[in-house]
This record gives sequence, C-alpha cells and structure tokens, in this order.
Amino acid sequence: MPEWVYDAFSYFVMAYSAIILGSYVFFAILAFLEHKKHYTYHDDDYTIEELKKSPYTPGISIVAPAYNEEKTVITNVQSLLSLDYPDFEVVIVNDGSKDRTLELLIENFELVKVPYAYIEKIKTKPFKGLYKTKSDNPAFKRLTVVDKVNGGTKADASNAGVNVVSNKFFVCTDVDCVLEKNALYRMIWPTMASTRRVIAVSATMRMSNGSLVEDGKMVDPRPPHDFIPLSQDLEYTRSFLIGKTALSRINAMQNVSGGFGMFDREVVIKAGGYDGDSFAEDMDMVARMIRYMCDSGEDYRVVQIPETCCWTEGPPNFKVLNRQRTRWGRGLFQFFTVHRDMLWNRDYRQYGMFTLPYILIFELLAPVIEFMGYFMVISLLVQWAINWNTIWIAFLGLYVFAQLLTVTIISYDVWVGTSFKRRTDYLWFVLASLLEPLFYHPINVFFSLRGYVKQILGTQMVWGNMTRKGVQSAKKPAAPASVAQAKSAEAAEAAASAENKKEEENAHA
Amino acid sequence: MDYYVLSRYAYLKYYFLILYYRLTEYPPAVRVWAVFTAVCLILMVSIVLGNVVRVIRASADNRAVERNREKYAAKVKEVALTERTMEPAEISELLNLPKNFKMHERQNRHFVPMLIELYRRYGSEMNRANWQRVLQVLKMPAYFDAQVRSRSKRKRVVAFKNVADMDANLKEAVASRYLFTKDRKLQNNARLHAARFGTSYPFKVLLDDPNLVFTEEMVVKYHNVLLYRQANGMSMPNFIHWCNRTPVNEELRIFAINEIRLFRRREDCPEMLSMLQNSREERFSCALIRALGDMEYVPAEKEFCRRYLSASYTERQQLATALGQINSGNPEVLKFLEDDFLQTTDAVTRMLLLRTIRGYGEIGREAYERLKRETPKAFAIFYEHIECDLIDSSRYA
Repeated sequence: MPEWVYDAFSYFVMAYSAIILGSYVFFAILAFLEHKKHYTYHDDDYTIEELKKSPYTPGISIVAPAYNEEKTVITNVQSLLSLDYPDFEVVIVNDGSKDRTLELLIENFELVKVPYAYIEKIKTKPFKGLYKTKSDNPAFKRLTVVDKVNGGTKADASNAGVNVVSNKFFVCTDVDCVLEKNALYRMIWPTMASTRRVIAVSATMRMSNGSLVEDGKMVDPRPPHDFIPLSQDLEYTRSFLIGKTALSRINAMQNVSGGFGMFDREVVIKAGGYDGDSFAEDMDMVARMIRYMCDSGEDYRVVQIPETCCWTEGPPNFKVLNRQRTRWGRGLFQFFTVHRDMLWNRDYRQYGMFTLPYILIFELLAPVIEFMGYFMVISLLVQWAINWNTIWIAFLGLYVFAQLLTVTIISYDVWVGTSFKRRTDYLWFVLASLLEPLFYHPINVFFSLRGYVKQILGTQMVWGNMTRKGVQSAKKPAAPASVAQAKSAEAAEAAASAENKKEEENAHA
Repeated sequence: MDYYVLSRYAYLKYYFLILYYRLTEYPPAVRVWAVFTAVCLILMVSIVLGNVVRVIRASADNRAVERNREKYAAKVKEVALTERTMEPAEISELLNLPKNFKMHERQNRHFVPMLIELYRRYGSEMNRANWQRVLQVLKMPAYFDAQVRSRSKRKRVVAFKNVADMDANLKEAVASRYLFTKDRKLQNNARLHAARFGTSYPFKVLLDDPNLVFTEEMVVKYHNVLLYRQANGMSMPNFIHWCNRTPVNEELRIFAINEIRLFRRREDCPEMLSMLQNSREERFSCALIRALGDMEYVPAEKEFCRRYLSASYTERQQLATALGQINSGNPEVLKFLEDDFLQTTDAVTRMLLLRTIRGYGEIGREAYERLKRETPKAFAIFYEHIECDLIDSSRYA
C-alpha cells in the first residue's frame, strides 16, 4: 500500500478521534449542568408526598408484552402490581405464547375472559380476548391481560397494549424488567414540571445480573460479576448518565429505551404506533413521534431522568450478545434508510440537525472506521512499520480518557442518588473499564458490522429468545407442591429449551 | 546552607516542564496529546478524591442524623402529641437542652430529616402550638431564615421545601424576597410558601404576574396548599374572582374552575354557566362542563344540549359524561342522547353515550334495554362491555 494512504488515513483518524473526544467532553459538561440542575431543584420525597395527596396526579398505564415467559411472568407481574403510585394499571400482552404464560396468569391472578370492545387504533395481529380478575384483591384489579395472535415482534404486542390502555401516558417495559418502587412518580414528574409538551420520558436502566431480587422487588442492587453483563452495565450507565442526559438538556434525545420508557399515548397513536418491521423499534418510535410533532408545528420535549428506575437482565454470554448487537447494528442501519429524509433537515429542529448527523457519523460509521483502524494496525505490524515511540502515548491517552469517563459517571451516579448500597461495588465498574476497551469493545464492533452486512444483504432475521439465567432471589425457591407439579415444571423447561434450540437452528439456517 | 522551599504550583510546573522537554523531539500532535493525557489524569485524581470526601461527609451526616433520631425523636413526638400547650423552657428541659442553647447550621441540618418524618407521620394528630414551640426551641426558624438568605441556590430551594414539609415558618420579609426572582423554580417555591402561610391575600401575586407560567406541577402543589389552608381554618380564595380578572393566565383560570369543583363551591355554578355560554376556548369549556356536571347543576343541562351539536370531539365526550352525572331524569335529554348514539360513528363516543344512557335513572335503563333489542348485532359487544362488572367502563378511552 502506498505511504500516502497511511498518512491520509492517519490524519483522518486523528481528526475523527479529536472530534469524538471533544464531543464526549462536551456531553460530560452538559450532563454535569443537567445533574446540577436536578440536584438543586429535585427532591424525590417531596415530589412523592405532593403527588400522593393530589387528585390531579395523572394515571399511568404499564404495557408489558410477554412471549414464552412462564418462568418469570408471575414474579414480574407481582413486581409491577406492587409499584407505588395512586393511579396505575398494568397491561400484560400475551403475544401468542406457546408455553403456559397465559394459563399461569389466569391461575395466579384469578382472571376471567371479559367481553371487551377492542378498538384497533393501531393495526395489530388479531385480538383474541381480554382478561380481568374476579378476585377482590385491589392490587389484582389493576391488572389487565390481553391475549392476541403472535405477531413475531415486540412492536406488534406493544401496539395491542396501546390500543387497550386508558391513561394519557403509558410506560412500555419488558416483563423481565424489575422496576424501582417509585419509578412511576419519577417518570411522571417531568411531564408535569415542563412548560412544553413532554412526549416521552426515559430513565436510567441498569443490569440486574448479580443483584438480589425478592418477590420481584429490587432488594440489593449490585453490579454483575460476569464480564459481559458488567461491561454492558458500564456501557448503559455511561450512555444514560452522560450521553442521554446531555442530549436531553438540549432536547435532542435520540432514543427512549424499549426496556423502560414512558410515552404520550395520543402522540404514539397519531404517529402510527410501533413499527413491526423495524429492528430498532424504540428508536424508530421516537423518530416518528418527533416527526409528527414537528410536522404539526407543535413544541415538544423528550426527557431523560438520571435516577435508576429499572433493572434488566443483560446478555450472559457472547452468543446472546452477538444476537443483540447484530440486531442493534441492523436496526441502526435500517433506521437511516427509513428516516434519511430527517437527516440535515431543519424542519426537524435539533433532532434533524444535530442528533441524526451525530449518530450517523459517530455511531453508524464508527464501527467501519474502527475496523479499518484495526486492519491498518495489523498491516503496519506485519510490515513492522509501527512507530513504537509514539503509539504508546496514543494508547495511554485513550485509556486514561476512558478511565476519566468511568470516574465521571461514578461521581454522577453518587450525586443523583447512588443505585448501589455499597460504595465498594463501584470498583467492579473500574475493573470493567480497565478491560472493556481491550475485549468488549472490539467484539461489539465486529457484531455491529455483522448487522450492517446482514441488513445490506437482506438476510431474513429470526427474533431469537433472550436466554435468561434469572436474577438472584433473596428467598429460596419454593418447592413444588407435588411430584406431578415438579414433573410438569421439568417438562415445561425441557419444552422451552427445545423450542429455543429450534429457533437457534432456524436463525442459523 | 539555605534551603529553598518551592510552592506546590512550582512543583506542578516543574513536572510539566519535564514532560514538555522530554517530548520536544516528538511532533506537535503527540505533545498536545501528552498534555491532554496529563490533564485527564489530574482530573481523574481530583474527581476520585472529591468523591471520597463527599462519601465520607455523607456518612458522617447520616450518623449524626441517626444519633439525633435516637436521642430526640421520642421526646419530640411526646411533646408534639401532648394536648396541653407547653412552655418553651419546659420543652427545652424535657429535651435536655442547655439553657443558652445555640445551634450551628450543620447541627440544625441533622435535625431536619427527623422533624420532617415526625410531621409526616403525626402531623394530623399534633398539637400545633407545641410543635411550633419545639421548632423554636431547636432554632429551626432562624436556621431556615439563614438558609433562604444563603448564596447557594440549592439551600434556598431546599429550605422552602423543608419549611413546607414540617410546617415551620419563615420571616415574611425573608420569604417574600424571591416572589419575583428570575429563577422560576425558586420563584415558584417562594410563592408557594407565601400561599401556604400568607394571611392577607397570598394568591394576588399569581393574578398580578403577566408572565406567569402555571405548569401541572404548580397545579398539584397549589391544590395541596389550598387543602392545608382549609384544614387549618385559614382564609380561602374566591376562585370565580380569579376567572373574571383580566388578564389572567388561561391555565390559572382552568385551575380555578377545577378547584371550585373539588371544593364543591355550588354557589359559583350560575356564574360558571354564564361563562360557559360565552366561552370559545376548548380546554376552559371542558373544565366548566366537568365542574358543572360533577356538581350536578341541573340548569346547565339545556346549555349542554345546545352546545353538544357544535362541540369538538373532546368537548362532546365531556358533555355526554356531564349529562350522565346530572342525571335529572329529563326525557328530552335522554332522547337527545339516544339520537346521538344512533347517529355517531365513533366507537368511543358510542360507548360513552351508552354508559350515560344506562345510568340515566329508570327511564335510562328502559331506553338502554330497548336500544339493545333494536340496534344491529354488531353493537352487541358494546352492551356486553358496559354490562360487565369487571370492566371499569368509565376509563374507556
């Protein structure tokens, strides 16, 4: 390869790195200002007391799609029902599960099918029925279970839930997510305090692997002790406490996580609901909501709150991580093909002029450039043409900068009300940040590129099941009441694993 | 021999110079990068040290709060729940406080969580006079005055919130200094404080402010303030007067109408009806309709029916619900509802009308049964939905 190619690439990489590092510093400063504002004016206890007493507190619906979740569905629904908020309902959408998800819900919550007049405001796969409890337990009365034909995507199930909810705002979450007890108070407050219409609220999410959960409630949040979920926890924290908080400050949020986010129901319906064909349905939903608001000339806000409100189980191994990241990579690529008209478009305000170009250059293109970088380094190594006197300074600088970011997010987390009870738990974050740039990040680059290639080639994608290990429980699991029950549980587990295996095979095929 | 002691900045400069001269043979980009790395390192160490200090301070604070709780909580509770009004000296003696008791700001801060906790739990049963004296003995009013006057924005805001949380008080001159400050959050807190404890006409500031931003957050807080005033026998505002003032914030007018509804001020209904007749703004009209319907003001029925045909989608739904709430048993109104049920194409409105008809007394029940027999089979699901006790059809949207 001619020398000028190396030189050109070196200068390009230098400029690209300088801008990307500059943007991180800029985001960290914006996030600092936002956290300071939050710290100055927000008081969780005071807010909760005010909302508890008031008849003006708006109702919230929680929509949680469930597909083959028989292992965890009961505990998780109990967790959702035990949230603290004066007026909320829980809508579980059984998306045509092939296991005993629906039966277990019916048995445990004394549900009966009711004649519900289902109005399809957003098109979904056929609705089969709606279940309400006949029990006198007031907590159970908050529960609604929607049964529908499997739509193959979470988006379709979420849309069915949106069709049924009765409140102005709904929280979209996964059945396996563990929510903070006061999460709903925290989520609703920005919609009430803002002078502009808040169309979506996002909150910080963390990994539940390694934490202690009792009856579906987070008892002791702890960092995961496995490398992959730990690295992902660090990545999430960095993204929520720096990236999203900074973007929220300038009203340029790109995404409200599909795992836990609150949306304005009216805007979601007018924007057409979740897109079942999208691999990044959450990002796509926010883009379409913003498009609707901008097209109709209305002012809006998408808000990120810094407190941790939700814990979700992260990929436990590389296989699942591969599936997740490939889908995300694919989704990002697909997103830009669908919403390319919003890019550099002034009509879409900060979103079109800042957020989308930033994502395009520093998120979509980053894996490509990084991959080229790895290729260059290997090629230089082969030719023994690396300047060892300078490269160590470059690596050291990057490494120190990564550590600085980690220390910054730890201090932000402590500032906004730490999620870990033991401060020493943050040492796990430090450990992860030492290893992450060497192992976790390069692998993610490869998975993302794999997603791009699959999207370009148009390979059909099968939505694989997320393999769950389940979080640690503070209580010992209850023994089955009878041998028959134990046998049926074993049989169900075997069937589920066979199902997973089959889907894996399909995916490979 | 002379020893020359360098300042710490000189040492820092010295290390930077070493770094600089060691890197002189490198290209400028590398030198800039090296400086960047050094700055990152220094920042990182400072942040870590800052965090450590913060964590140590926080745990010391927590320990102090716990100590106070153990030492005073039971005694303060006992004083606050005593029916007989006690003298400050007696309280001081009971709490084992020295005669010339003085408090430092930090010590006062350690009392705050305990006092808030006690007030939240026993506030309704407390002897207010004793409670105020406890606060006085612990020098809380002076502490809050100092906090509100402090330079830190957070301290000011937190002080206002704490005062509200434990029913303490501030000097009026101190509290009123932020009523028109540029910082909207601080301004709101100061105004809320004035509204909670003011004796003359504390809400005047809301009506006189042409730049008022009245968010839902304020709606919640002002309602709680009004509940507090009512519970403590303080003067309540004339809400209808708020609506008639020009120029007044639209949100504030809606809030006033909602408060009339929540405080059941039936004497304001005639004036609200005349407002509805002249109102063109949808949200304000909806608030009026909801209030008149909720208070079952029968003379409004005629205006509701007149308005219905030209009303917007949202307003129609409010009108249908309000007619159901008034439930006067007027056959003409029932006929009107029935006709609209048969004409409307919107499923949500249809459900709402059907529910209203069913709840419209005996004649409504009869009309409902007749409609059930006469309407096409496709409507059957609506009837089943309405009749099912397990579904809360009032929440159907």
